[in-house]
Amino acid sequence: MEDLRGPIGLFFLLTGLILVVASFAMPGARAPLTDANVNLYCGLPMLVFGSVMLWLARRAT
Amino acid sequence: MKLASIDYLLLALYFVFVLGIGWLVRRRVVTSEDFLTSHRSVPVWITSLAFIAANLGAQEVIGMCASGAKYGIMTSHFYWIGAVPAMLFVGVFMMPFYYGSRARSVPEYLKLRFDEKTRALNAITFAVMTVFSSGISMYALGLLFQLVLGWSFTASVLLSAAIVLVYTFLGGLTSAIYNEVLQFFLIVLGFAPLAILATTKAGGWSGVAARIPEVMTHSWKHVGNPSQNPMGVEAFSLIAGLGFVLSFGYWCTDFLVVQRAMAADSMSAARRTPLVAAFPKMFMPFVVILPGIAAVALSKMAVGYELPQNYNLVLTTLMAQFYPSGMLGVGLTALMASFMSGMAGNVSAFNTVWTYDIYQSYIHPRAADQHYLLVGRITTVVGVLLSVLTAYLATSFNNIMDMLQLVFSFVNAPLFATFLLGMFWKRATGHGAFTGLLAGTTGAALTHGLTVAEGKGGWIANLHQFPSTMAQNFWLAIVAWTMCFVVTIVVSLATRPKAESELHNLVYGVTDIPHEEVAWWRRPAPLAIIVAVLLIGLNIIFW
Repeated sequence: MEDLRGPIGLFFLLTGLILVVASFAMPGARAPLTDANVNLYCGLPMLVFGSVMLWLARRAT
Repeated sequence: MKLASIDYLLLALYFVFVLGIGWLVRRRVVTSEDFLTSHRSVPVWITSLAFIAANLGAQEVIGMCASGAKYGIMTSHFYWIGAVPAMLFVGVFMMPFYYGSRARSVPEYLKLRFDEKTRALNAITFAVMTVFSSGISMYALGLLFQLVLGWSFTASVLLSAAIVLVYTFLGGLTSAIYNEVLQFFLIVLGFAPLAILATTKAGGWSGVAARIPEVMTHSWKHVGNPSQNPMGVEAFSLIAGLGFVLSFGYWCTDFLVVQRAMAADSMSAARRTPLVAAFPKMFMPFVVILPGIAAVALSKMAVGYELPQNYNLVLTTLMAQFYPSGMLGVGLTALMASFMSGMAGNVSAFNTVWTYDIYQSYIHPRAADQHYLLVGRITTVVGVLLSVLTAYLATSFNNIMDMLQLVFSFVNAPLFATFLLGMFWKRATGHGAFTGLLAGTTGAALTHGLTVAEGKGGWIANLHQFPSTMAQNFWLAIVAWTMCFVVTIVVSLATRPKAESELHNLVYGVTDIPHEEVAWWRRPAPLAIIVAVLLIGLNIIFW
C-alpha cells in the first residue's frame, strides 16, 4: 500500500517553500490589517510539517 | 479580492496533488469492493482524519464562521455536544455491529438486522439526499467564488466537479479518503493562521471578549432562558434536540461518515476511528468559529474592518484583510479543499449505496463482480453529473432547494431511534423499524406544520410559537425521535421477531465482542474517557 505520508509531506514541503521564497522575494508584501510577514510565518511551519511527514514516510520503508 | 499569479500557482499545485493521489491509488482497484469499500484496508490515522474531513465541507466551514459572527462561542455546541459525544458512542458501542456484521453499507446493515423494506427506505432516501446535498454545496461554492473573486459560476462548478470526478473515478473510496486527509491538513493549516491573526489583532481572547456582547463569550451561561441567548434555544432542546437526536442521528447512522470507519483495516481500528477523530474535532471551533467571533470584535475597533451584511462572507473578507498574496492562495485552496472533501464524501457514499443497495439488490442481482465495479464507476460519473445539475437547478429554484432540505431533515430526524433499538434490543422487528421511521418522519412534518418560528412552518395551524427556527428544529427532532422510538417498540411487540440465530454480530447480547489484547491507550473505553475529560474541560473554560 502506498504510504500517504509521502505525497502529503511533499505537498506541504512545496507549499511551504513557495511561501517562504515569496516572503523573501516580496519582503514588503503585507495584508491590510497586519504588520506580520504572514507568508514567512505560515510557510515555515508548513515546511517543517512537510519535512517531518516525508521523514516519517522514508523511515517506514 | 484580487489573486496574484503565486495564488494560482498554489491552487494549481493542490490540483496536481489531488489528481496525483487518485492516480497513485488507482492500481489498488481490482474488485468492486476495492472501489466501493476500500476493502477494509485503510490505517486508522487515515480513516480518523477522513471521518471528520468528509463532514467538513465548504458550507460547514463558511457556515460555522458565519454562525460564530452571529451567535458567538455558543456555535461550538455544534461540535462539543453536537458531535463529540455521538462520535464516542458510535466508536465504543455501535462500531462492533457495523463492522462485525460485515455489511458493506449502513442500509445493508438494516437489511441484515431488519428486512428488505427498511433497507430500501434508508438506501433510497440516502441516495437522493446525498446527490442533492452535494449539488447544493456546489451551488454555494460557485456563488461564493463568483461574489468574492469574480470567477464565473460555470467555471468554478465545472472545474471543481471535474477534479472530484477524476480522482474518485480513478481510485474510488480509497482515493476519496486519502484526499480527505490531505484536505484536512490543508483546511487546518490554511484557516488556523486566520484565527490567530484575527484574534491577536483584536487583543487576544480577553480583547475580543471586552469588545463583543457578553452573551457571545459564553456557551452555557445563558441557555436557561431562550430570550437571553442569541440562538433562541433553551437548555433542554439544546441537549436533547441537538446533543442527542440530531447529533447521534448524524454521526452514528449517516453512511457518509460511518463508511470511513467501515473502511478501517481491523475491528479495533474501526472502533478507534471516531474516537481518534474526536480529538481534532473538539478543537475545530478554534479554527472555524473563532475567526467569526474575532471579526465582530474587529468591526468594533477603528481599524477599517466592517462586518459584511451577508455573514457567509465573513471568512473571505477576513482572509482579504489578513492574508497577503501567497497565503491568500493557500486560504482559497483550503476553501476549495473543504468543498472537494465534502463532495467526494457524498459521491463515494452515493456510489456504494446505489451499486450495492439499489442496483445489486433490486435491479440486477447475481452478476459478476466486474459488472458491479463497472456500475460503481459509471455511478461516479452519474452522481457528479446529477450534483452539477442540482447546482444549476438551485440557481433558479432556490425555494425548492430549501423545501427539499426541510423534507430531508424530516427523514433524518427519527433515524437514531431505529438504530438504537436495532442494535440494543433484539426484540425489535423489521415491521416495527419501518413503521417507526414513517411515524417519526410524519411526526417531524406535523411539528413543523403546527408550529411557527420566524415566519417558518405553521402550514397546518399555528399552535405554538418558537423563539427561533433553531429551537423549532431541535423540537421537531425530539418529536420525530420519540414517535419513532415508541411506534417501533409497540409494533415490534405485536409482530414476530427474527430468530436469535439470525442476529449474531448484529445485536447486543447475541454478539461476542472480541476482547482486544492491545495497549490500554489503543482500547476504545480509555480513549473515550480521555476525550470526555478534555471535552468537559473545554465546556467549563467557555462556560
